[in-house]
Amino acid sequence: MKGITMIEFKNVSKVYDSNGVHALDKVSINIQKGEFVFIVGSSGAGKSTFLKLIMREEQPTSGTIVVNGMHLEKMPRRKVPYLRRTMGIVFQDFRLISKMTVYENVAFAMRCVGKKNDVIKKRVPYILELVGLGDKAKDHPSELSGGEQQRVSLARALVNNPALIIADEPTGNIDPEMSYEIIQLLSEINKRGTTVLVVTHEHELVKSFGKRVITIDDGRVVSDSDDERYVAI
Amino acid sequence: MSSFGYLIKEGFKNLFHNRLMTLASLGVLISCLVLTGSAVMLTVNVSNIVDSVGDNNSTKVFLDDNLTELEAVYKGKELKALDNIVDAQFVDKDDAIQAYREQLGEAVFANMTGDDNPLPYSFNVTMDDLSRYDETVNAIKGVSGVASVSSHREVAQKLASLSSFITTMSLWIILALAIISLFIISNTIRMTMFAHRFEISIMKSVGATNAFVRVPFIVEGVIIGLVSAAASVGILYLLSDGVINSVQSILNFRYTRFTEIIWPVAGAFCAAGVLVGALGSAVSISRSLKHEGNEILGW
Repeated sequence: MKGITMIEFKNVSKVYDSNGVHALDKVSINIQKGEFVFIVGSSGAGKSTFLKLIMREEQPTSGTIVVNGMHLEKMPRRKVPYLRRTMGIVFQDFRLISKMTVYENVAFAMRCVGKKNDVIKKRVPYILELVGLGDKAKDHPSELSGGEQQRVSLARALVNNPALIIADEPTGNIDPEMSYEIIQLLSEINKRGTTVLVVTHEHELVKSFGKRVITIDDGRVVSDSDDERYVAI
Repeated sequence: MSSFGYLIKEGFKNLFHNRLMTLASLGVLISCLVLTGSAVMLTVNVSNIVDSVGDNNSTKVFLDDNLTELEAVYKGKELKALDNIVDAQFVDKDDAIQAYREQLGEAVFANMTGDDNPLPYSFNVTMDDLSRYDETVNAIKGVSGVASVSSHREVAQKLASLSSFITTMSLWIILALAIISLFIISNTIRMTMFAHRFEISIMKSVGATNAFVRVPFIVEGVIIGLVSAAASVGILYLLSDGVINSVQSILNFRYTRFTEIIWPVAGAFCAAGVLVGALGSAVSISRSLKHEGNEILGW
């Protein structure tokens, strides 16, 4: 049965004006609400461009993109922040503000969208408990392990209750055991109804979770575990 | 704390993180405002002098140097006989030199006594109707033995043109300093934005609007403007009385003190400071927001 679409790419191509690189070539992908999808591919395959297009950091050269019901190729710049409020982003390098505590880093995401302090005071401790960092609220990022820092990054992505979590190589800077835990945590979040999109090149980790896997190579989708068109490849 | 309170606090923090550029911005903006205030004080006071001189219905009439004292005194009758003249007070050469001595110091005219006195006999002539000033001066000049008429209006006109020159010069200097202030504030804010590009990138990734990102930087510019305005009012308050007191010993008129115009000036300074601060910030923010923080994944 077909569900509600979260991300839809139709014949999307992206050529960078600055260097003429064809990053994506006629890519068509459909991701439903509530899905957990791994995007895999080697370095330079077009994974990052795919994410940049979803976040509207870049615009497609051709084709149409719909995210959470919003048409991105027609979206004016002033509406981009409202698109981004529907998604939470987890970065490979965590992107935590070193002078802020764990609590402040997570609260920062709420302040940026104009949430009131009493709402922040209730929500942040709850999210920190959810990612297993309830006792680290007053620590600074430098006092945490890589895995813990990534969990703070995940807490920040989750705190505004987004419909979609985008994780860009979330396990790239942490050890294998912690990597498994992070994906496990993302999987738990997915079970609560949030769509999760994880970009990675760690094939072993991907296999162990048995989720939908889309492989991008040289700017094209070369396999999709849920799409029968690619099963023969 | 509300979002607005948080943004104001961030604006204050930015000021301290960027101390050197903040001081440079303050310095230029304070110079600009102090100069503006000085020009205002000068214009107001020169205008007072001009009004006071122009309204004075007493005119000095100098007689030919070769007239004897008796002949000179007799000219008074002829002057009084003229239309529009109500009085003509004779001024003796010695009284005239004594008046100068009292004004400029005993040493200046020490040897100019008796035959060495270079001043001519003169009259202080009082007119009835100042609107007929030019016509009356022409009539006085027609009297034989009158060498010249010292018109206060000429002095007033000279002062007015000097005041106008100073005002014009000040306006150009103020304009130049205002542009420099804008440039320096704009650069201060740009440096702050560059230093905060990481935070801006995170802000944008979580969906902060450009307006939200802007507020702390606008606050920073506005604070620079307000502090400059307050400091400039303080400096003018301290300096103006001293300057007026020294000038008063030379030119004794009723001067307008800074305290008499302090509130309108303070209001105008605050408005100008806020405007320049906010404008300087806005210029750099709109330019920088196109670059800083727009790269989220490509950071």
